[in-house]
Amino acid sequence: MKKTKEKIIKDNIVHENPEVALNSFLDIRNLEVIYTQGNEIVHAVNKVSLTLDKGKTLGLVGETGAGKTTIAKSIIRILPDVSSKVKSGEIWFEGENINNLTENEMYHIRGSKIAMIFQDPMTALNPLMTIGDQIKEVVMLHSELNSIEAMNRVGDMLEMVGIPRERYVEYPHQFSGGMKQRVVIAMAIACDPELILADEPTTALDVTIQAQVLDMIKDLREKLNTSMILITHDLGVVCETCDYVAVIYAGSIMEYGSKEDIFTNPLHPYTVGLFNSLPSMAIGEKRLHSIKGLPPDPTNLPKGCPFGPRCPFKTDECQNDTEVPNIEVTPNHFVRCYKEVKK
Amino acid sequence: MNNTEEKYPLLKVEHLKKYFKVPAGINHAVDDVSFTIEKGETLGVVGESGCGKSTLGRTIIRLLEATDGTVLLNNEDITHIKGNKLKKAREKMQIVFQDPYSSLNPRLRVESAIMEPIKHSGRFKGKTEIKNEATRLMSLVGIDERLRESYPHELDGGRRQRVGIARALALNPDFIVCDEPVSALDVSIQAQVLNLLMDLQDSMGMSYMFITHDLSVVRHISDHILVMYLGQAVEKSPTEELFNAPLHPYTKALLSAIPSIDIHQPMKRIELKGEITSPINPKPGCRFQARCPYATEACNAPQVLEEILPNHFVQCCRVREINKLENENE
Repeated sequence: MKKTKEKIIKDNIVHENPEVALNSFLDIRNLEVIYTQGNEIVHAVNKVSLTLDKGKTLGLVGETGAGKTTIAKSIIRILPDVSSKVKSGEIWFEGENINNLTENEMYHIRGSKIAMIFQDPMTALNPLMTIGDQIKEVVMLHSELNSIEAMNRVGDMLEMVGIPRERYVEYPHQFSGGMKQRVVIAMAIACDPELILADEPTTALDVTIQAQVLDMIKDLREKLNTSMILITHDLGVVCETCDYVAVIYAGSIMEYGSKEDIFTNPLHPYTVGLFNSLPSMAIGEKRLHSIKGLPPDPTNLPKGCPFGPRCPFKTDECQNDTEVPNIEVTPNHFVRCYKEVKK
Repeated sequence: MNNTEEKYPLLKVEHLKKYFKVPAGINHAVDDVSFTIEKGETLGVVGESGCGKSTLGRTIIRLLEATDGTVLLNNEDITHIKGNKLKKAREKMQIVFQDPYSSLNPRLRVESAIMEPIKHSGRFKGKTEIKNEATRLMSLVGIDERLRESYPHELDGGRRQRVGIARALALNPDFIVCDEPVSALDVSIQAQVLNLLMDLQDSMGMSYMFITHDLSVVRHISDHILVMYLGQAVEKSPTEELFNAPLHPYTKALLSAIPSIDIHQPMKRIELKGEITSPINPKPGCRFQARCPYATEACNAPQVLEEILPNHFVQCCRVREINKLENENE
């Protein structure tokens, strides 16, 4: 897994500003991912740049098909080989561009340094293996522990997520949805990963169970100082767990900022529209403020701003072929909109 | 709502029970639930997955046969009617399903899918009339003319759900069960569909039974709310009263679990221990007691739904005590 010096030097030449990337924990630069569907090209992720510090949580918010999961999958590199392609971009993780690693090197990072929690706990587990053995598999693969030590470690992990040790020998069907999600989380944290990619970890769960799982994730993060990217479409979940928020629309980041920035001073028309669509914001009002129209077809994105066709503030400028500028309105609060240029 | 018309109970459900036989015993999916829905009103039904919300809706409109109890629609007992009578009654009650991806026939074009129930209703004769009615319904629910010949897979979730709504409206029903109609949709699209449902209610005066697990949606659309826990109704009250002053311990915990989007006012969460217990062969007594912070010996006795405040029903033997205690603490 050690990279040769040569290779790092070679990367540095390509990189515009290598110092920043080498020092930061996670730095994604100009990531572009496409899917091919017959003759059509789906532009799933378009020039996305993100950074994340150690111990912090970033929320990726957006609608279905906005490219949230694709970003996570390209970090851990589990996109389907045949139909998808990382067209360009660099993913710097702890000072190395993991986009250049071989599949074999990546194999050792997955699960041990970067782990993923999938959305649907019902399908993420193997129905024919006991949950203990499934977690043990991960531990054995990424550590030097022998079988008995690994079993002990699994027991500790289960207890950490609130499942009694004795349930090691049970099968997934013997657990409820919330408990299965805990098993999936136990598996993700089994090797003390530095980065957890959580893809809608509570979407399949009921509110009361969701509250338990979110509290547990928060506790674990404090105990282990793990960084996390939390993918969700639920702004309430983001508000309760994240430090930073990136709002994604049609594969581009429209707004990025700290939780306080986004929740108290949303600036992009899409972010504002998203908040106004929430029923809880409209207490006492009869109608909800929906965003007119539909998300664009990713095989045929509009010129200029992807949100342009639905935007109540659009001008001719927004439909130009040029890229919309990403404005830093206050330190570390970025908005991709012409509206902010004029201010 | 149409205020000029006089209100009368459109739907009356009395002691409705639906049990399923399963290998482990008898699943009490809906256990002795009673309520009424007025004309032009929306009743929101909330609860966790597996608490019997959907079973309740399906039993009422006779997609499932009730084990016991009665359902009165327009003062007519429809619990055991058969044949033509049932067909007539079905025209008055429709359902919009949760998943617009699987509830439409993938081989029927949008127009044909909407024309199907119109043909069955027999209210329109002749191809042109049926076609015209389909066009009217399409514009009513906001489906573009150009999508007439599209197949469901060519539509997005929001539009598919509109097709589902148009199909339910085709028979001109009095009562529609909306079974999680927006939970498969994104927030921005969800708002569009909720607005549509409310507009249709305003113009046509239907009643809805709105089943959902999303409490903010239910608060927005409902006049009354019924909270279910393991097959039983634990609380029923007017919407704002329920959100401002919930009385049942389960309702309190449920409301406190909604993630808040106000960063200055994070929710004070009431933590529940454990998970929803099994509805198979439940013991008599309160079904929530295993997770309830206030459970005592008295909770082992069978509980009744009592009118604690005007129009506010709660099924909890300690409700007065608990809420009085909490008032003192405040």
